[in-house]
Amino acid sequence: MGNNKAHADHRYIEALLTNDSLILKEIYEKFAPKIVGYIKKNSGNETRAQDIIQETLITIYKQAKEKELILTCPFDAYFFLLCKRKWLNELKKNTSKEVTINEEVVSIHDESAGYADETLAFEARNKLFAQVFDQLGKACKELLKATFTIKSMEEVALKLGQSYGYVRKKKSLCIGRLTKMVQDSPKYNQIKNLL
Amino acid sequence: MTPEEKYELFEGKISDELSNKEEETLSQMIKENEVIAEEFRMYREWSSYLDSNLNLEKEQSDLEHSLKEIGDSFFEEKSPEKETRIIKIPSWAYAVAASVAIVLGVYTFTKSGPVYNDYVTIPELSITERGGESPLLKQAEVSFNSENYGDAEKYLSELLKNDDANSEYLFYLGIALMEQNKHEKASEVFEQLIQGSSIFMYKATWFEALNQLKQKNMDRCTELLRAIPQEAENYKQAQKLLKKL
Repeated sequence: MGNNKAHADHRYIEALLTNDSLILKEIYEKFAPKIVGYIKKNSGNETRAQDIIQETLITIYKQAKEKELILTCPFDAYFFLLCKRKWLNELKKNTSKEVTINEEVVSIHDESAGYADETLAFEARNKLFAQVFDQLGKACKELLKATFTIKSMEEVALKLGQSYGYVRKKKSLCIGRLTKMVQDSPKYNQIKNLL
Repeated sequence: MTPEEKYELFEGKISDELSNKEEETLSQMIKENEVIAEEFRMYREWSSYLDSNLNLEKEQSDLEHSLKEIGDSFFEEKSPEKETRIIKIPSWAYAVAASVAIVLGVYTFTKSGPVYNDYVTIPELSITERGGESPLLKQAEVSFNSENYGDAEKYLSELLKNDDANSEYLFYLGIALMEQNKHEKASEVFEQLIQGSSIFMYKATWFEALNQLKQKNMDRCTELLRAIPQEAENYKQAQKLLKKL
């Protein structure tokens, strides 16, 4: 996103990556009250707010880990926007409850909104990938788990009692199948732009 | 070039194992054919996803654990009824205090017991056959996946008229009914699957448990959850929910 110079608040992302409880505590102290206030005002409670905050932090962590997310804007608006959208999605899902949204006029920095959009798209991708992976055949699932956790293909081949060439070919076929499954999914268009 | 050969090229590129000639073939293909280019981007995306998700489990669960602890203590401190006051009290009062604490505990527990929305994840419906042209299948799929459950119910019921034992149609019909709060009808459909022996047998048990949870029938919900065996896909979720009940 634009220039790549990290904002001072990038330390919150670092804290997620290193599981630094002191700074993680600071995240709750500094940013949670506003989110809790928003969720409570919009048909939620503290328990739900705690869940939403935790889920959002995990998503940010995953994105930081896989995509090497560098935050170049303040954490506050980005984090609030993410939690807010997550909560609104949740409300929409719940058909039996009547929804009243007390929308506040919050001026959100454009850059933060851009970051939040990226994170939400990343989350949508993860959700779709998890669903698709779940539908993959058992043999492929096991082979992929082995190749990605063991790393050394020679070792995997040895473990599975197959040749190196066979395992490598199989791996590429299984990922190819996942690729095809995602492209055939009706939700593909929602995540296509992320690529 | 066969799809197999194409995927092997993709894999070689990602693991940096291509010869100069292969490298050239691939970049040529990507440059000239947008479909292959898109496919390659998706393949790379999967590779990166699997690499991070199949390896993060331990690290992620450690972080989840820390966040849970920090979150718990943060929300506990914030909560006004947990404020501490120093008052001198006679020893018998501890017994009273303990009973009050139990009552309060039970109260908070029931108040914030597990709710349907915390556990439900609606699977995607994918029934259209490649190349096959069935508008009804397509309509059922589109309406279900866009959470338009009223229409999905209509189309799935229509499909079942010609194929009344199709467990996949039945399973998704059950979900569509449950999402519309048509609980009794949903139960009928799920029960039919639970009594059967299709691959949806245990999934239906899990969703029927959620259907009961949605209606706050905790006893029936517990009973159903206990019937989900260890080899079932939803076993872990079921155990998690059982603990909360």
